[in-house]
Amino acid sequence: MPEISQNLFEIIVTFLTITLVVNAILGICSYLIMLERKLSAWMQDRVGPNRTGPWGLLQPIADGAKFLLKEEVIPDHCNKVLFVIAPTISVFTTLLAFAIVPYGPVGEMPIEWLRFIIAPNVDIGMVFIFAVTSLAVYGIILGGWASNNKYSALGSLRASAQVVSYEIPLGLSVVGIALLAGTLNLEKIMAQQATAGFWGWNFWLQPLACLIFFTSALAESNRLPFDLSECEQELVGGFHTEYSALKFGLFFLGEYTHVITSAFLLVILFFGGWQLPWIATPESSFALAWLVKMLVLMTKVLLVIVVVMLLRWTIPRFRFDQLMGLAWKVLIPLSIANMVAVMFVRQFNWNPWWLPAISLALFIAAGVIGATTTRSEISRRPLATAKLASAH
Amino acid sequence: MTIPAIPPLVIYAALLVGFVIVNLVLAHAIGPRKKTPVKQMPYESGMDPVGDARQPFNVRFYLVAILFLVFDVELLFLYPWAVSAYAPLGSKDTPAILPPDLSMPVFVVMNIFMATLVIAYIYAWRKGVFQWR
Repeated sequence: MPEISQNLFEIIVTFLTITLVVNAILGICSYLIMLERKLSAWMQDRVGPNRTGPWGLLQPIADGAKFLLKEEVIPDHCNKVLFVIAPTISVFTTLLAFAIVPYGPVGEMPIEWLRFIIAPNVDIGMVFIFAVTSLAVYGIILGGWASNNKYSALGSLRASAQVVSYEIPLGLSVVGIALLAGTLNLEKIMAQQATAGFWGWNFWLQPLACLIFFTSALAESNRLPFDLSECEQELVGGFHTEYSALKFGLFFLGEYTHVITSAFLLVILFFGGWQLPWIATPESSFALAWLVKMLVLMTKVLLVIVVVMLLRWTIPRFRFDQLMGLAWKVLIPLSIANMVAVMFVRQFNWNPWWLPAISLALFIAAGVIGATTTRSEISRRPLATAKLASAH
Repeated sequence: MTIPAIPPLVIYAALLVGFVIVNLVLAHAIGPRKKTPVKQMPYESGMDPVGDARQPFNVRFYLVAILFLVFDVELLFLYPWAVSAYAPLGSKDTPAILPPDLSMPVFVVMNIFMATLVIAYIYAWRKGVFQWR
């Protein structure tokens, strides 16, 4: 009998955790959209949403209600089945990836049912996340194809090439972490950094990999400056031009969940998870230490997301050839070189603090090579103003 | 006690599918529906659409997909090696999964593996696969 009750308890805990996480993600997503609108408004000297509720705080709820209440237009020329399946895939895969992302100090279990992760002890860790999130590209391709609209077709074509290209540097930058940590299990990577202390954060040993990971994660989630697939000025809405009401909302939810997951991964892989010197260390044993650790992790994640949002209005959008060039000609060679460097350091037991120096050297070398060799057609052409000036 | 990983994943996946379907059905049931001929047309910024959207596309996208396949499979081969080759940094008590006498041969093989990949990569570059203009 205790066997059965134990299993029952596990199932109940799983249901509880899932309910908690899904609701939290939905709530956080809607308020992140609100935060993003407010931040954009602040950066552009506007007011932003301020009509619904005090300071516009009820805006996300109004938006959510609108997603449900608006008319769903499915144009006649669409492939109806694929049209409905596409946003489903998009949101399903991005939410499923969150199953193995720890959102607190895993393994402490202050309360018996508080687990800080939906599916604990997944040793393939990062591979699972890459496998699941790369399925999201099907949602984009199917959405663009089923819409039978030229904007959508172009958008999905671009998006699929982009997502597929940036997946390689994303994966390669994690190989270095795996070589250092000896595992791909996110919980173990986080715990190792926590015990190693502030200077044990992977960021210090792998700054270049961190940069590559961040850039690729931005591109993977189709955020500016990499939102070629849905740039409003050229393609209206890209692959979701024909989508309306809840189906559009699902695409949006998928995108934001992807941003949140990427931010979590960045913090867990490179910035020490819940560890912060003097505030949250493995030794801190005061009551509610788990809450502090969780809050530290959340704060770091929120900081990353805010940086992503600020980047949106800081860097202009790439051209498509620049985008593909960045992935294939810059990030992939750099990440391979970084990985080989880690391999050599580990094999010959060199001092790991050579790694940041190598990262810096690679970064500078890439900059120098890029500045001296790459000359696109446009930059070689003399500027019109220069011609005018020489005529005078 | 270690908690098994697969059952929570299966439950989570099933619940997610349920969540999405319920949402879609709900939106379908609640939302109004007023079809007009114009609303059912492809959106092309107010122009009448000419021809079909499903046209042949540039062969470069195909090349990128093929190259992606090469690199992605290569990545899948890298992960098991990366996890098992060396002991975790800074820990004395957990040894590497790979036996010590295999360390050097595996290192040499990995170098050959990466060299093959880099040669293929340079070949693709020289062939102009990454040239998008």
